[in-house]
Amino acid sequence: MSDRQELMQKIATYDFAITELNLYLDTHPTDKDAKRKLVDFEEKSGILRNDYEEKYGPITFRDTPEKRMRWIRNPWPWDICEED
Amino acid sequence: MWVYEKKLQYPVKIKNPNPALAKIIMSQYGGPDGELGASLRYLSQRFSMPYPELKAILTDIGTEELGHLEMVGAIIYQLTRNLTPEEIKAAGMDAYFVDHTTGVYPASAAGVPFTAAYIQSKGDVLTDLHEDLAAEQKAMKALVSAKSSNIC
Repeated sequence: MSDRQELMQKIATYDFAITELNLYLDTHPTDKDAKRKLVDFEEKSGILRNDYEEKYGPITFRDTPEKRMRWIRNPWPWDICEED
Repeated sequence: MWVYEKKLQYPVKIKNPNPALAKIIMSQYGGPDGELGASLRYLSQRFSMPYPELKAILTDIGTEELGHLEMVGAIIYQLTRNLTPEEIKAAGMDAYFVDHTTGVYPASAAGVPFTAAYIQSKGDVLTDLHEDLAAEQKAMKALVSAKSSNIC
C-alpha cells in the first residue's frame, strides 16, 4: 500500500465512525458521550484531511480554486493506480 | 444539495479481475435490493416525513447509500478490467457485454435494468418506515444468498 493509500485509509476509518455517529445523533441528539466522540473523530479526521490535501490534492471542489489541476488529475477514487 | 468528496467510503483495490463475480455483485448496484434503490427510497421518502429527526436520518442514510453505490460501482469496474473476449464468454458476461461492454450499468444479476418499481414512497410515516425495514431485510438476505452461492 502506498503512503497516499495508507493516509486515505486512516481518513476513511475516522470518517466511517463520524458518519455512523452522525446517524445515531439524528435520533439521539442529547447523547453527550456520542457527541464527544463525534467532535474527537472530526478533529482527528480534519488533521489527516489537511495533510492529505496538502500532499495529494483537494478532496472537495470547494478547495480547488488554485488547485484545479490537482482536483482533475488521477487517481479518481475507483481507479487502480500504478502505485499499487 | 450535495458536495462530492473525492474518496470512497472505504477504499476498493481489487488485484484480480473476475467477471463472474462482477455479474453477481452487479445486483448490489442496480438490482431489486441494491444501493441505487436504497438511496432513492430514503431520499424520496424524506420529503413527506412529519418529524425532524426522520427528515434528518433519511437524508443522512440516503446520502450514505450513495456512497455505498459508488463503492459497488468501483468494485464492478475493477473486477471487469482488461478482460479478453474468452474470459468474458467463459464467465457468462457476454450477454451484458453486448449491451454495455464493461460500462457500469444499473441492472440486476439477471440483467433486468433498474426500475423505480423496486422502491415505494407512500407519504405515510408508518408505511414508509415498514417499507424501509423490509428493504433492509431483503438487502441482508441478498448478501447472505450471494455468499452461500459460493461465488462471493
